[in-house]
Amino acid sequence: MAGTGAEDLLRGLAPQVLGALVRRFGHFDLAEDAVQEALLAAAAQWPADGIPNSPKAWLITVGSRRLTDLLRSEQARRRREEAAARQVPPGDWTAPAADAGPDGRDDTLILLFLCCHPALPPASQIALTLRAVGGLTTAEIGRAFLVPEATMTRRISRAKQQIAASGLPFALPPGPARPERLAAVLHVLYLIFTEGYSATSGPSLTRQDLSAEAIRLARLTHRLLPADGEAAGLLALMLLTDARRPARTGPGGELVPLEDQDRTRWNAGQIAEGVALISAALAAGEPGPYQLQAAIAAVHDEAPSYEQTDWPQIEALYTLLLRISDNPVVALNHAVAVAMSKDPKSGLGLLPPIAADPRMARDHRVTAVRAHLLELDGNPDAARAAYRAAARQATSLPQQRYLNARASRLERS
Amino acid sequence: MKYLILMYGSQQDYNEMAGQPAPGQPSWTPEDFAAMGAFMESFGKDLTDSGELIDAQGLIAPVHTRRIRLRDGLPVVTDGPYAETEEVLAGFWLVDCESFDRATEIAARLTGCPGPDHVRDRAYVDVRPVADSQEDLGV
Repeated sequence: MAGTGAEDLLRGLAPQVLGALVRRFGHFDLAEDAVQEALLAAAAQWPADGIPNSPKAWLITVGSRRLTDLLRSEQARRRREEAAARQVPPGDWTAPAADAGPDGRDDTLILLFLCCHPALPPASQIALTLRAVGGLTTAEIGRAFLVPEATMTRRISRAKQQIAASGLPFALPPGPARPERLAAVLHVLYLIFTEGYSATSGPSLTRQDLSAEAIRLARLTHRLLPADGEAAGLLALMLLTDARRPARTGPGGELVPLEDQDRTRWNAGQIAEGVALISAALAAGEPGPYQLQAAIAAVHDEAPSYEQTDWPQIEALYTLLLRISDNPVVALNHAVAVAMSKDPKSGLGLLPPIAADPRMARDHRVTAVRAHLLELDGNPDAARAAYRAAARQATSLPQQRYLNARASRLERS
Repeated sequence: MKYLILMYGSQQDYNEMAGQPAPGQPSWTPEDFAAMGAFMESFGKDLTDSGELIDAQGLIAPVHTRRIRLRDGLPVVTDGPYAETEEVLAGFWLVDCESFDRATEIAARLTGCPGPDHVRDRAYVDVRPVADSQEDLGV
């Protein structure tokens, strides 16, 4: 479709229409196909006929018809095979089904919970979320994760079958389970963002489309759960991190570290939005890990330069974050903050236990940080050796080039 | 006294109304739909005016049916249990009127519902008295 306005409209409606069909008729797997066909029909008809008065109702009507067709052929096939598909329902199955609810109900949130169900492996959660909630095609998702489309097709249909076979009711998770399930949803969105922001392999360091999609989904989640501090924190974290993207790579695609970035190229609008979000969330209550990370990103984004950064504030935030998350990468960032707010030796002293953590065994970052702190401490020979060692451990080419360049710079001086 | 007037249709009937007739069968025309709509509206209005109508509902295509039964002590759900040509409940009117004969008179009006000839030829409605109390059912 030519107009991106109509395209945005369709992508926003896709999860709502899918949610409405699954709520009314069940059949998550077939309903997903039916919605894709309804979207295609809209893309073909709306430019010629105009956008209908109620686009959502139009899509639900067309999607329902397509679902009926798909069910007929599926049931016919099943009869031919003489194998009745049966499922053992959960205990509450025969409770009255929630029928089409009040107009304007948005089932996107239920769909998100369904796609991020803990029974699915993370790779499937991500693929299914991008497809069912994000409205991306299988080919687009395959490209984003650098796997063949056929592989992604298999992954998505397996995930849909697992959901269909699990007999999960189409409803929000029950109260006690909800915080845990929401954490899973936010984690999937976070993984999509980081996959887009720092590709783990391949020649290009960022895959902007995935980051943009993650931000769009996080925005949606925040809109659906405005009172949830972590949903707001995650959106703020993404905005504040993504704001630096224009300055994060140089003209040759090389990685530019935070201290060398041209801060005038940061996205001021995204920073303002992220700061406003995180300020409001922090004022509301006990901060969770996404809020703390967003607060740290906000301190960085608001600093006029690397040197003028409020390092004691960053150290304090990392100390809070360490208390609630046992994560060696957080510990590593905490060590850097300590080095910057006190002195490099204090930071270096924190590194040995982090390096000994088995989770960091094949990770170049501890060695890279040691190199950086040794350099700050006025020890160029040890720093150079550490940069070279970190370059050998790094997997992405831009990271290797960056670390080798740092080492070479110390040779010349 | 309450009576339930039941109307039947198969998945094939729904397909024809959706513009997907079985091979060799004529499809519904827009005029057929308009005539049926006008008939049903006036039928419902008359029953409302006389105060006899309690409720009337039409059902979505049979393909969307879930059947639940006990298997090895567990409730088991089967999707889409009907064959395409199997006639099943498609809609109903619940009326409260003075006699079975009056309910039959009401139901008989439905044979005048417009539609393609082959549909009118095989269509039928049932009228069944509704139990007034549990005693009627002997429980």
